[in-house]
Amino acid sequence: MPERIKHKPLDIDKVKPPKAEIHIITDQCKGCGYCIQFCPKQVLEESKEINARGVHPPKIVDESKCILCSFCTAVCPDFAIYTTEKKCAEGC
Amino acid sequence: METAKTTNLKATLERILDIEKLKYCFDCGICTASCSMAELLGKDYNPRRLLERIVLNPDSVLSSEELWLCAWCYRCYKRCPQALKVPEIFLLMRTISVERGNVQASEKALKKIVEKIPLPFITTLVGFHPERAGLDMKKVIEKMEELLREDSKRRKKKKTTGASGEKVAVIGSGPAGLTVASELSHKGFHVTVFELLPELGGMLRKCIPEYRLPRQILDKEIQLIKDLGVEIRTGVSVGKDLGFEDLWKDGFRAVFIGTGAHKSQKLKVEGAELKSVIHALDFLWSVHSDGKVEVGKNVVVIGGGNVAVDAARTALNLGAKDVTILYRRSREEMPANPWEVKEGEEAGVKIEFLVAPAKILGEGAVSAIECVRTQLGEPDDTGRRKAIPIEGSAFKRETDMVILAIGEAPDLEFLPKETELNEDGSLWVNPITMETSMQGIFAGGDAVTGPASVIEAICAGKHAAESIASYLRSRGG
Amino acid sequence: MTEKKEPESRKAAEEVRIGVYVCHCGLNIAGSVDCAEVAKFAATLPHVVLAKDNRYTCSDQGQDQIKKDIKENRLNRVVVASCSPRLHEPTFRKTCEEAGLNKYLFEMANIREQCSWVHLYDKKEATEKAKDLVKVAAAKAALLEPAEEAEVPITRKALVIGGGVAGIQAALDLADTGYNVYLVEKEPSIGGMMARIDKTFPTMDCSICILAPKMSDVGHHPNIELLTNSEVTEVKGYIGNFHVKVLKKPRYVTKDCSACGECVKVCPIVVPNEFDVGLAIRHGIYTPFAQAVPSTYIIDMNVCLNKDGVVVCDRCMKACERQAVRYEMTPETADLEVGTIIVATGADVFDPTALPNYGYGKYENVITSLEFERLINAGGPSGGHLLRPSDKQIPKRVAFVQCVGSRSDKSGKLYCSNVCCMNTIKDSLLIKEHWPETEIYVFYVDIRAYGKGFEDLYKRARKAGVIFIRGLPAEIVEDKKNRSLWLLGENSLQNELYKIKVDMAVLSIGLEPRKDSELIQRLLTLSRTQDGFFMEAHPKLRPVDAATGGIFFAGCAEAPKDIKDSVTQASAAAARAGILMAKGKVTVEAITPIFYPEKCKVCGLCVKVCPYNAITLNKDLKRIELIEAACGGCGTCAAECPFGALTQKHFTDEQIIAQVDAVTENSPEKKIVAFCCNWCSYAAADFAGVSRMQYPPNVRIIRTMCSGRVAPKFVERAFARGAATVLVAGCHLGDCHYINANYQMQKRVERLQKKMEQSGLNKERLQLLWASAAEGERFASKIREMKTIVESVTSKEIEASQKVFEKALTGV
Repeated sequence: MPERIKHKPLDIDKVKPPKAEIHIITDQCKGCGYCIQFCPKQVLEESKEINARGVHPPKIVDESKCILCSFCTAVCPDFAIYTTEKKCAEGC
Repeated sequence: METAKTTNLKATLERILDIEKLKYCFDCGICTASCSMAELLGKDYNPRRLLERIVLNPDSVLSSEELWLCAWCYRCYKRCPQALKVPEIFLLMRTISVERGNVQASEKALKKIVEKIPLPFITTLVGFHPERAGLDMKKVIEKMEELLREDSKRRKKKKTTGASGEKVAVIGSGPAGLTVASELSHKGFHVTVFELLPELGGMLRKCIPEYRLPRQILDKEIQLIKDLGVEIRTGVSVGKDLGFEDLWKDGFRAVFIGTGAHKSQKLKVEGAELKSVIHALDFLWSVHSDGKVEVGKNVVVIGGGNVAVDAARTALNLGAKDVTILYRRSREEMPANPWEVKEGEEAGVKIEFLVAPAKILGEGAVSAIECVRTQLGEPDDTGRRKAIPIEGSAFKRETDMVILAIGEAPDLEFLPKETELNEDGSLWVNPITMETSMQGIFAGGDAVTGPASVIEAICAGKHAAESIASYLRSRGG
Repeated sequence: MTEKKEPESRKAAEEVRIGVYVCHCGLNIAGSVDCAEVAKFAATLPHVVLAKDNRYTCSDQGQDQIKKDIKENRLNRVVVASCSPRLHEPTFRKTCEEAGLNKYLFEMANIREQCSWVHLYDKKEATEKAKDLVKVAAAKAALLEPAEEAEVPITRKALVIGGGVAGIQAALDLADTGYNVYLVEKEPSIGGMMARIDKTFPTMDCSICILAPKMSDVGHHPNIELLTNSEVTEVKGYIGNFHVKVLKKPRYVTKDCSACGECVKVCPIVVPNEFDVGLAIRHGIYTPFAQAVPSTYIIDMNVCLNKDGVVVCDRCMKACERQAVRYEMTPETADLEVGTIIVATGADVFDPTALPNYGYGKYENVITSLEFERLINAGGPSGGHLLRPSDKQIPKRVAFVQCVGSRSDKSGKLYCSNVCCMNTIKDSLLIKEHWPETEIYVFYVDIRAYGKGFEDLYKRARKAGVIFIRGLPAEIVEDKKNRSLWLLGENSLQNELYKIKVDMAVLSIGLEPRKDSELIQRLLTLSRTQDGFFMEAHPKLRPVDAATGGIFFAGCAEAPKDIKDSVTQASAAAARAGILMAKGKVTVEAITPIFYPEKCKVCGLCVKVCPYNAITLNKDLKRIELIEAACGGCGTCAAECPFGALTQKHFTDEQIIAQVDAVTENSPEKKIVAFCCNWCSYAAADFAGVSRMQYPPNVRIIRTMCSGRVAPKFVERAFARGAATVLVAGCHLGDCHYINANYQMQKRVERLQKKMEQSGLNKERLQLLWASAAEGERFASKIREMKTIVESVTSKEIEASQKVFEKALTGV
């Protein structure tokens, strides 16, 4: 359907995107960069800091973009990253 | 009744006009509803009906004063579903009328202009253009002066109504501001005009070329307004030297903002900071303020609006050998008035369409400009078709001066932050009352519409003046 | 394709006896041509044994007269001078056949569309031209030869392109008749525009309620194979024997899907739903609407997290109990063999962004009529509550603006879109039904309520208090404080400016040709009108046939129309396709090449130019081989052959040269010798006639099937015989009915022009014109332009050209 979309969906408020929390165990990271490379929503980027293993661990750019697909967890060879869903009590 | 004359005239129309399209006109009324003059004159002027009469009874149009009341803003053309060049159709009729020695129609029109249109001399020169149909401007001005003398007698007799003496501040002294000042003074209000520059006139003084508006006429018109008792305060920057709070404290009951659109858009290409790259407004302003500007031999003007055409013609007048306008879209998309473009071309300005600047080259001063050819794509959000660069089409053009006329925007930083603006950064007003989102502050002209014609600013000024008057009346009790 | 010895002297075998009939066509011809005089003149022509004029040659009486004369006067050639052969050639060919005369021994002179109607005010010149045209026809007739038509079998399967209501109806009709149908739809579901509309006018039926059963029938019909999410990528072949390739894009969900919707609940992706014009959301895995057929869900891989074979997210797969989700699906190509094709590709809507004064896209409460349909639809994003987008409140004042993007030079859509008036009236009544207090303004220029029940509905709207104001808004401005809108315009009946404030404005947008029409046009070698919609073979008498055999139109692809008209046309198209398939075979016009092998030097030029690959070069046997069934009949091979080894049946070199000679017999220095192709440029000349566009009478048109048939020697011959100018006219490049044969014509003409230039001749005397069948004015103005060239050509120049091309006078 070729019409150009000009309006915001009226029911956009009905879907509550999940509130994700991303946990990075910084010192466990060996800096392979897989999580950054494979994140489908470009939530992560390489940080400037240097960790215990002497590499740049990832840092979070925009946590609100995370959709909790957990692919970062799946690809991390060092079990250094995982995501959890924020409970409503924590600030919905 | 078909007379020989009518038949002749019909034949002429068939030959010259876009008559097929005109005959198909289905009276949607967009032209009249878009027309500044129809708004100013109300029932006295209706371009749609005039067009209809050209088809039905062209003879009656020749002797009609309405024929002379089109002010060439082309707003109708820009919106007409058939894209009829209404002002040019009227010009043809005007020319035939003059050829047939019909002077009464134009004189009746001049009378109406003097009586009903603010800034009648300026409007006639930069708006109505009777000279295009072959009238002698000198005689037109003399006639107008005569009419003005009669009219001021009439006005003196008539007492000003509601002479309340309430104070109104007008910020900016371009056509919109001057109109508000003049109209409200006539209504008996006490108007103070604040102007940043040392002299009044705004764009009229800064930008409009001398050949179109001799400065002595401008001065005369301004003097007429001063004579009405309008207080003038030049060199004042409202918002900086004087806050809005101060205005209220000083007893002003309403404010009109007519600050125009003076901020030149920046060209985002390499080399835009080189010497001899100049913004059109700055260029025109220095030409008109001190008259001593060196132009290059080989001048390139970038842009497609009226300012671009004005700058190009001015450069030509100042002795440039070759002046070329580069415009990234095609002729149809050009925002400049088609007639101005035509006159520019006749004066020797060259125009290249579908060309966009990519880089300005030179060491210190400009030596050349690198351009790319473009093609038109789908309409963008402004409704105009996008100019898409064609890959590998880059070419170089030698030049020693580049004038940038890629658009002007209002500079509204002096306003309180909470003021509502339009998407394009211009000032939002209620279209009916011309009031901004702040109570008691009204606005009109280029500050609201973005760059437009003088007549549109005058129209907005008159509209705002009426609205301010009724606002004050309703509050004054 | 016939292999032949050189024709022996035919005249020895049989005396040529031509009968000429000059038709008055009432006053259509007789009004500006002296038909009696033309008949009298015809009688003096060689081989003409009788010449008559009559009022209506196509009437039964007229036809009986021809039959009688054939028998009594032993006529063996018949010439009728009347209307365009595109109209009545089949009629008169049948007449001849009935009298036992081979139909290829009939010839027509077009003295109506190309003479009387275009020279209405100059009876003398028109009569002279008519005489000339009859002479040309008689000259060709003398050389006509009988021919037998080959029969081609028709595959009894049909392809329907487009699954809107028109495509659905056509597919169902054909399938119910018993034919197998492939229905190809590029969206994930069939239903098209009708599925998106809330109610239909004038009956106010619920649109999806009446469409859904039909959609479901399509889904279940044993004779219909439904290919959704699919596009036609290639069409080869010809009437009865089309080979079609269809690209089936993967859904990533198999038919095992039970449409339970569990997958949607877990999909993390949220995007605007195109079906709702973005007014509602959908997920990455979705079904566009509840009644979709097929009901199988689909994954939008453009937004899915899984890209390039990497499965990042498998939630939908895990949620699917029936294991229908398959991320690994790939595109497939289906090869279809069909006998007929129905084009039901529909129309797009106008994008009002192009009219910035209406603020669409800038102001939230300015919406299009299509968006309105979704808003008022119970299945839409607001559940049928009319809400304005800015604050989701029910608007108390609503404006409709008509003719947005229609009837406008500026938007390039000069036509009336046909449905918007009634759609607005229907919409206004829908609002009044639910919220009677709503103030509704309709800004219009003409209300077109032309169909059955339309006027009643219009009356109902007026009675219900809908306010109709004549005059379109010049501008819509938003009130920033409450997002309401001011409409500023002129009431052109009251001559008053209006400023009307409303809560929401609906732009009644027009319909426009699909953006991919050009692609469909190219795939199927169709032609389009100036408006861009597909053009029918005849606007009155063959309104659903394409000019290309075996292809038919249904719905908005042909022109904007409402649901009823689309359905009517779809049934008509199905019937037309059914007729072909019921017969099971079709005869192919005997216009294929004649091959003289002894003249052939096996150079292979014909192989290169044949658009149908119907000529091949057998390298082993060193000879040219022809496949008659594949030949389209353009004749470009005959024009290309430098050795005269190929010519085209019914358009032989001799015949065309005889026509050229007849045209140039008298005062060639005043003439424009025009070669026009049957499909576009000849049709354009006919269209100029139908529209009574007047142009100078200097032109004489010689018809070939394709401009590719025009051999350089024909043009050279005309100049050698002293013609002032020559025009070669064909379809626009890319629009050729023989795929690309007109490119050959372009090459040949350009070569000739170059030759003229090099020989010091004015190359302007040879002109090239591309004109589609709808471009009558283009044709007429070309003739006007060429008249001035004719007038400027001096006798010296004519002598010079005669000299340059004198070789062309010999060797035929």
